[in-house]
Amino acid sequence: MFTLLSGLWKYLFQKDEYCILILGLDNAGKSTLLEQIKRIYGNNYSGLAFEKIKTTIGLNIGKITMNHVKLIFWDLGGQQELRSLWDKYYEECHGVIYVIDSSDERRLEESQKDELVVNLELEKKKLEYKCHKCFELEFKVIFTFETVMHDSHMEGTPLLILANKQDLQGSLDVETVKNAFDGNSSSIGQRDYYIQPTSALTGDGISDGISWLVQRVKGNLDRPPRKKDIT
Amino acid sequence: MGSFFSSLFSSLFGQKELRILILGLDGAGKTTILYRLQVGEVVTTIPRQTSIRPYWRCYYSNTDAIIYVVDSVDKERIGISKQELIAMLEDMEGAMSASEVSNALGLAALKSRTWSIFKTSATKGEGLDEAMEWLVDSLKSRQ
Repeated sequence: MFTLLSGLWKYLFQKDEYCILILGLDNAGKSTLLEQIKRIYGNNYSGLAFEKIKTTIGLNIGKITMNHVKLIFWDLGGQQELRSLWDKYYEECHGVIYVIDSSDERRLEESQKDELVVNLELEKKKLEYKCHKCFELEFKVIFTFETVMHDSHMEGTPLLILANKQDLQGSLDVETVKNAFDGNSSSIGQRDYYIQPTSALTGDGISDGISWLVQRVKGNLDRPPRKKDIT
Repeated sequence: MGSFFSSLFSSLFGQKELRILILGLDGAGKTTILYRLQVGEVVTTIPRQTSIRPYWRCYYSNTDAIIYVVDSVDKERIGISKQELIAMLEDMEGAMSASEVSNALGLAALKSRTWSIFKTSATKGEGLDEAMEWLVDSLKSRQ
């Protein structure tokens, strides 16, 4: 009888916990996004002024509850030297949000390419270029997106790509960002992905993206949620 | 009483081991100097490459003195030699980077706690304000 009741209790009140990793280059707007998410979904959340958000050197955490699901957001610093910390979180996460600064066309390439691919291209180009310096300059891109996506611990996680900073004039539209990333669609692999234009500052587009991600994360059988009782 | 005498003896006669690092560009004559000091005769050595310079730092800790060897004939590379010397001295004082600290402390294992690293110097009073500001802000914005 007790087990029946406790089972019913659990069924009614147990919440599934999902961990969402927020990645992207520095200054893409990850911390602002997390802050905005907390404002949109957090109950009685007072909030931190956006202008107070500084470069993250560490980990910011946000916890929200929606549709009987608890979401834990991990916002990691995006500076190059901090990217070595990212992979420590791959295994335990259920979904990934990759934030792109759409206003920064120059770094879009840095954001998407991976060292391996770049090295291959380098080898090819080395033959074409006579001068060592030229090709080095042109192809000096650092690994990020592709490295993340190629990691075996990341396999099967739903991916939400946010083309952020749409509030800024001259920012790239979703189509351009999509094309840039689709060109390397091999790295996206067998995963569900969705590209959403957002403005973390104004909050536009965020709830659409989050709803998509929650739905996919819940439906992903490869990565079952962490169970958490209400105590 | 016995310990007093033994410490007196060791200070008078004891041999304390000191670590002295011999550094310098390749071909400056480091190994030749070492052999000259040790064996007392000139031994011809083969200069090593530049690629091992990053490994100098492995020897920095517990070093009591440095002998920096400069090839006084090599006018062309005296500038490089200077750069390396300055870089080395900075490196010896240098603190670990944020990622090195977080890796060394295993901070990535903390997945349920907000954390941040600040570069501070208590003696110079640097970075402390930023750190405290962050602490206050994150306490305020706690859900």
